[in-house]
Amino acid sequence: MNDSVSAGAHARGMRGDHVAGAVLMAFSALVAWENRSYPLGSLASPGPGSVPLMLALILGGLGLLIIVRGAASPLLNSIEWSEARRGFVLLLACGVATFVLERIGYRLSMIALLVFMLGVVERKKPLPTALVSIGFAYGSYFMFATLLKVQLPLGPWGL
Amino acid sequence: MDGVFGNLMLGFSVAMQPSVLAYAFAGCVIGTLVGMLPGLGPLAGISLLLPATFGLDPIVAIVLLAGVYYGAMYGGSTTSILMRIPGEAASVMTCIDGYAMTQRGRAGPALAIAAIGSFVAGTFSVVALMLLAPTLATFALRFGPPEYTALLTMGLLVLSYMSGGSMLKTLAMAAVGLLLGMVGIDAMSGYTRFSYGMTELADGVGIVPVAVGLFGLSEILMTAGQASPPPVQQPTLRQLIPSAEEMRLSIGPITRGSVVGFLIGIIPGAAHIISSFVSYGMERRISNHPERFGNGAIEGVAGPESANNAAATGAFVPMLALGVPTGPITAVMLAAIMVHGIAPGPMLITEQPQLFWGFVASMYVGNVVLLVLNLPLVGIFVNLLRIPYSYLYPAILCFCVLGVYSVGNSVVDVWIMLAMGGVGYVLRKFHFDLAPVALGLVLSPLLELSVRQSLAMSGGSYGIFLDRPIAITMFGAAFVLILLALKPLIFKGKDWRHDVGLDEPAAE
Repeated sequence: MNDSVSAGAHARGMRGDHVAGAVLMAFSALVAWENRSYPLGSLASPGPGSVPLMLALILGGLGLLIIVRGAASPLLNSIEWSEARRGFVLLLACGVATFVLERIGYRLSMIALLVFMLGVVERKKPLPTALVSIGFAYGSYFMFATLLKVQLPLGPWGL
Repeated sequence: MDGVFGNLMLGFSVAMQPSVLAYAFAGCVIGTLVGMLPGLGPLAGISLLLPATFGLDPIVAIVLLAGVYYGAMYGGSTTSILMRIPGEAASVMTCIDGYAMTQRGRAGPALAIAAIGSFVAGTFSVVALMLLAPTLATFALRFGPPEYTALLTMGLLVLSYMSGGSMLKTLAMAAVGLLLGMVGIDAMSGYTRFSYGMTELADGVGIVPVAVGLFGLSEILMTAGQASPPPVQQPTLRQLIPSAEEMRLSIGPITRGSVVGFLIGIIPGAAHIISSFVSYGMERRISNHPERFGNGAIEGVAGPESANNAAATGAFVPMLALGVPTGPITAVMLAAIMVHGIAPGPMLITEQPQLFWGFVASMYVGNVVLLVLNLPLVGIFVNLLRIPYSYLYPAILCFCVLGVYSVGNSVVDVWIMLAMGGVGYVLRKFHFDLAPVALGLVLSPLLELSVRQSLAMSGGSYGIFLDRPIAITMFGAAFVLILLALKPLIFKGKDWRHDVGLDEPAAE
C-alpha cells in the first residue's frame, strides 16, 4: 500500500490540488480586482472594501499553499468524470426550465423538464413519462400553491 | 432545578397541543423519508421545506424542521444497513457493519439497535440541551462585538480543524463562503457590493439556494445515472428483536456515542458526520476484538448511530443560546425563526420561553415518535427504496427548483442554486468540504459587523480584542488550534483524522 502511494506521489503529471489551488488563486485575484471600486478605509476604520480584500488575499494565500502541498494529491487525470456529461445535460435542462419558469408558468415548465429528463435522458416509455410528469407538476402545484399558499408563476395560459 | 422543571412543563403544554404534535409527527415522517433518499440529506430537506413554514406559527415551524432534521438522521441508517447506501453523509460508518450484519441475516437487530441507540442518544442530548443552553445564554449576555468577533473566528477555525478533509481546503472554502457573504448592502456604510446592478442581490446571497445547490443538486449530479439499487430486505417485526448478547454489546457504544456525539455537536462544523467517524474509531480502538469491525459488529452500528443523533441535538445548543449556527443546517433553521421576526441570541430563551421550552419538549416527543414510527413501520418505509432512482432523481431536481423559487419568488435564487450545484459537483471531485461555504456565508455579515463595531467602540484600537477576558480566551483557543493544525505539517506526523479513518485519498 505504502509503496503504491509513494510511487503514485512520484508519478509525473498535473495534480488535482495544483489545479484547484490555481483556480482559487484566480478567483481571489478576480475578487480583488472587482473590489477596487469600494473604499478601503484605514486600519483603524475599515471601509466596505477592506474585509473583501483581506478575504481575497487570505484565499489567494490558501490557494498557493494548496498548490505547494499538492504533490501528494491524486493525479488530475485519475479523477473520474464519467457522470459529468449527464450532469451537464441535467444542469442545462434545469437552466432552460428556470429561464421559462416565469414565462410559461410553473406547471408547464415542470412538465417540460420532467419529460426531457425521463423521456430523453432516462429513455423511459412515453406513458409513464407523461403520467409522472403531469402527476408531479399538478400534484406539487396543489400541495404548495393550493394547500401551503406558496405563490407559483402561472404564465400566460394560467398553467 | 425547580425552574427547569417548571419551564419544561410549560414546554410540554406547548408541545402537546394537537397542531404541534401533528407537525412533529409530520416532520419525523418527512425526515425519515428524506434521510432514506440518496440525494436528499437533512439540509436539502429542511431547505426545501422552509417556504412551507412561512405561514406557520414559529413554534410549529421550528418543531417541523427539527423533526425533519432528526428524522433524517434516523432515516439515513435504514438504507445504510439494508442496502449499503448512506441516505446522508452521517450514515457512512453505519454502512460498514450494518450492511455486513444484513448479509449475515441480522438486518432486523441492526435496525432495532440503530433505532434504540438513536432514541437513547436523542433523549440524553435533549436533557443536556435543556440544562446547558439556558446557562450558556445567561453567560452570553456579557458578549459584545469583540466577544462575537472572537467567537466567530474561533468557530471558523474549529470548523476547519474538525472538518473531515484537509484543513487548508476547509479554510479556503470558509473564505469562499465569507466572500459570498460580502455580496449585498454593507450594513455599516450602505455600499452595495458585488451585486452588479441586480436588485435581487442587494439583500445578499441567500443560504437556501446555496445550501440546496451545494448539498442537494451536486449530490444528484454525482449520482444520476447510477445503477439501480439491489433488492431490499424487509425484516418483519419479530426479526427486529436483538439477542441478549447484541443488547449487552450495544450498551457501552450507545452510552459513549451519546456523550461524544453531544459534545462534538456543540462544536462548529459537520458535527453529525464527524461524530459518527469518531465514535466508530473509538469503539474499534477500545474493543477487545477489533477484527470483528467491518464484519458485522453490532458496536459499529450502535456507536455511530447514537453519536450522529446526539450531535444533531447538540448543534442546537449554540444556535438557541448564542444565536450562532454551527453548521448549514442550523443556519437554515435560524433563517426559519428570523422569518417570523424573532431575533435569535441569548435573549431568546427569556423573551420567547414558549418557543424554547416548547421546542425542547417537542424533541422529547419527537424521539418517542421516531422510535414508535420506525421500528414497526420500517417494512413500509423501505418500499420507497423500490422506486427506481431514474424516476426519483428528476422529481428531486424539480423539488429543488420549486423549493428554492418559493423562498423568495425569485428566479435569481434558482440561478444561484444551479451555479452552486455545478460548483459543488466540481469541488466534491477535488475533495473539498462544502459545509464551510454555507457556514461562512451565514457568519460573514455578523463577523464583519462585529469587527468594525469593535473598532468603532475602541476608536480604532485593535487592543480591544486583547483587553476583554472572554475575547482573549477565545482567541487563545483559536491560536492553540492553529498550532495543533500546524504540528503534523511541521513534524510530518498524522493528525486526528488518521486515527478515525478520515484521511484524504492519497496520490495514485
